[in-house]
Amino acid sequence: MENRPLEYDYSVAKLFMFTTIVLGIVGMLIGVILAFQLAFPSINLLLGEGLAEYTNFSRLRPLHTDAVIFGFTLSGVFATWYYIGQRVLKVSMAESGFLMFIGKLHFWLYVVGVAAVVVSLFMGITTSKEYAEFEWPIDIAIVIVWVLWGISVFGLIGIRRERSLYISIWYYIATFLGIAMLYLFNNMEVPTYFASGGIGAWYHSVSMYSGTNDALVQWWYGHNAVAFGFTVPIVAMIYYFLPKESGQAVYSYKLSLLSFWGLMFVYLWAGGHHLLFSTVPDWMQTMGSVFSVILILPSWGSAINMLLTMKGEWQQVASSPLIKFMVLASTFYMFSTLEGPIQAIKSVNALAHFTDWIVGHVHDGVLGWVGFMIMAALFHMAPRVFKRELYSKALMTTQFWIQTLGVVLYFTSMWIAGITQGMMWRAHDEFGNLAYSFIDTVTVLHPYYTIRAVGGLLYLIGFFMFAYNIYKTMSARPVEENELQSATPMAA
Amino acid sequence: MDIADIQAYAYFFFTGFLVLVLYGYIYHLYSSERKGERDYEKYGDIALNDEVTDKPVETISEKEIEKKEA
Amino acid sequence: MFHWLEKRPFFFAVAVFLTIAFAGLIEILPNFAQASRPTIGTAPYSTLELAGRHVYIKNSCNACHSQLIRPFKAETDRYGHYSLSGEYAYDRPFLWGSKRTGPDLMRVGNYRTTDWHENHMYDPAGVVPGSIMPAYKWMFTNIADVDTAYAEQLTIESVFNVPYNKPIPMKDGSTSTVALADSLEGAHASALEEAKLVAEDMKNQDVKDAVANGQIPEIVALIAYMNSLK
Ligand code: HEM
Ligand code: HEM
Repeated sequence: MENRPLEYDYSVAKLFMFTTIVLGIVGMLIGVILAFQLAFPSINLLLGEGLAEYTNFSRLRPLHTDAVIFGFTLSGVFATWYYIGQRVLKVSMAESGFLMFIGKLHFWLYVVGVAAVVVSLFMGITTSKEYAEFEWPIDIAIVIVWVLWGISVFGLIGIRRERSLYISIWYYIATFLGIAMLYLFNNMEVPTYFASGGIGAWYHSVSMYSGTNDALVQWWYGHNAVAFGFTVPIVAMIYYFLPKESGQAVYSYKLSLLSFWGLMFVYLWAGGHHLLFSTVPDWMQTMGSVFSVILILPSWGSAINMLLTMKGEWQQVASSPLIKFMVLASTFYMFSTLEGPIQAIKSVNALAHFTDWIVGHVHDGVLGWVGFMIMAALFHMAPRVFKRELYSKALMTTQFWIQTLGVVLYFTSMWIAGITQGMMWRAHDEFGNLAYSFIDTVTVLHPYYTIRAVGGLLYLIGFFMFAYNIYKTMSARPVEENELQSATPMAA
Repeated sequence: MDIADIQAYAYFFFTGFLVLVLYGYIYHLYSSERKGERDYEKYGDIALNDEVTDKPVETISEKEIEKKEA
Repeated sequence: MFHWLEKRPFFFAVAVFLTIAFAGLIEILPNFAQASRPTIGTAPYSTLELAGRHVYIKNSCNACHSQLIRPFKAETDRYGHYSLSGEYAYDRPFLWGSKRTGPDLMRVGNYRTTDWHENHMYDPAGVVPGSIMPAYKWMFTNIADVDTAYAEQLTIESVFNVPYNKPIPMKDGSTSTVALADSLEGAHASALEEAKLVAEDMKNQDVKDAVANGQIPEIVALIAYMNSLK
């Protein structure tokens, strides 16, 4: 064997980049279908009466949430880990046959898991718990995938050359631990087939917790799955990609460390905001609200740190679409972490809970922050992974504006829809009777549902442009190592 | 004292404790930098100079490699 | 001390874990015993009702309908008495939902009938003009899975001591019992008995025929479940 110089090995990162794009398309396509179904119910029969069981809104909705969370987002987290991890620890996966093997196994088991999820959700096999719909056999597969990822993370850290762990690594470690703990506790279930001596469906299970307790555990999970799936690993990404792309070190490293502990400490306590007006002791609900408000501090700590990293370099925002994506992502992060605490205030939550305002909050976070950051990460990684320049800067800029418009249409329409609905539900006439029947509060939403669907469609179109751009990058002009130092090379 | 009281006390205690630790950390970050013991900002360069051939910001010494945990 | 931690991935991970785990322990655990006590009048689900609950879950009805009435006048006016913790004691999993695209169903059994559900599930917009709810026609032909419902009953009885075949205190001071069959055949027979009562009030001939032939379409189980929500 000839003696080649040591290089980073991106084979596993590449695989996960692929699933990020494919599952992103699947998940968002289903999202757009859902959005149109709410505006035009006849679309429930998309593939005809015979297949309506599999294409109606309620059967598809869990597929949307799980495909974008566990497919798109999680793939993005893994892809960036297998990229950033090596670089900031200064050790190549090529140096360890073992880690390489674990990495590949991790990927393929993940793919098997995803396939099982898609099939089972289409068939209506679900536990009904939001973001934890999978039955026990898939839960076990997920735990194995997670453990494999843990081995990858700690294995790579174990053979590192860089003594200190860069802040992004902290966030990845927290993601690993947080999700592991939450997932395990929320999915405690008893398989009925075995407990009853072999009766009924083998995959069916029943939750270990009942009623209110089940709800407590579920929302403790649900809120923090958001925290450790949509916030912590995405922050890990931006702490690496924005400095690297702009060539500017993080504005204040100390602030980044501080925000980390602040976030870890406060996030879990804030879970109480999903339990407002439930049976949890009052003082704890109040503390849930209070901590949600405090949560603005560490969140904005990270976001402002990112914006200040661009200090004196703002011309880059104008000139580079990649920087645009990331700056808008941190702006949306600030936005949804301001909106969230507002919705966590008890009197506001009384109005907002169960309405489309929550859906609006969800999507300004996931489309503006999570989606933009993951796409920016892949835009940055693709030229380095394929050693080619980005196919088209113009396409990227167009995509940026189309998707930004899409997000704005989405959340503004859902805000209006949510607040309208909330107000109508509680309106009483002069005699103290309810002013509106329920259906009045549904039909009034039609225009907003239509606008949302259009906004979502724009976002999806942008995502297709993104996929095409990455695909074409694989055969674009090859570049030299030194062109990849900081700003990503792009063809006009 | 029933379980709800224990809960409230534990809540109070841990919150106080973690707030103290957090402030202690802020103090530590700034004082160790002022005293010149440690320059935290240099770690920001880990992301910028991240080629495999770049020199690590802080190298792991041979001795540490031998007895490193995790 | 802090710097020491930053250089040691293992202890660092332990510290992160402890920080995030405490909150959960203190928030959740203490409420466990308290919240799991059933209120007077709350009974476990019968085999058919449970099979219907599975149909509800299979089709993710909870994606659009909540089962949680909050203590506000506007909600109690619309849906009935606000929810009490103990009313959910036998709900595994809970079905509170997080989005009210359609109305709350916590007490739907109080104000809708078998007949209404039958028409509504077949063609929602025909019953409620302007409704955006999908039609669930396949429920009229798919057969409900009684086996799994029975398996779940056996499981919750043996693992969680759910009081089947035991007297349960009712609001009026009397007691009632929910029977649990001692064999799979028995479970099918008792589910069919219940299904016949529901089918009596239905009009769809295919469904009536199926029940007469000893089969239970999903819609029958679902309606039994809906009617039990009070
Ligand atoms: C300071 C930070 C945040 C706070 C305090 C917060 C607070 C809240 C509140 C109060 C709800 C509504 C609960 C309800 O009434 O149903 C909610 C829901 C949600 N939030 Fe946030 N939020 C924050 C940041 C974020 C971010 C950054 C994202 C995503 C990127 C996000 C994603 C979600 C999701 C997915 C839900 C919906 C859960 C469901 O109903 O299924 N949140 N959040
Ligand atoms: C093309 C873009 C998208 C469209 C059109 C879309 C549309 C929708 C629709 C129509 C719903 C159901 C709302 C309801 O029940 O009223 C929904 C729910 C949801 N979507 Fe999306 N979505 C998109 C992208 C995403 C992405 C990228 C993510 C996450 C990374 C995401 C996460 C969620 C979540 C967590 C929910 C559940 C919200 C809740 O329970 O409150 N969506 N989406």
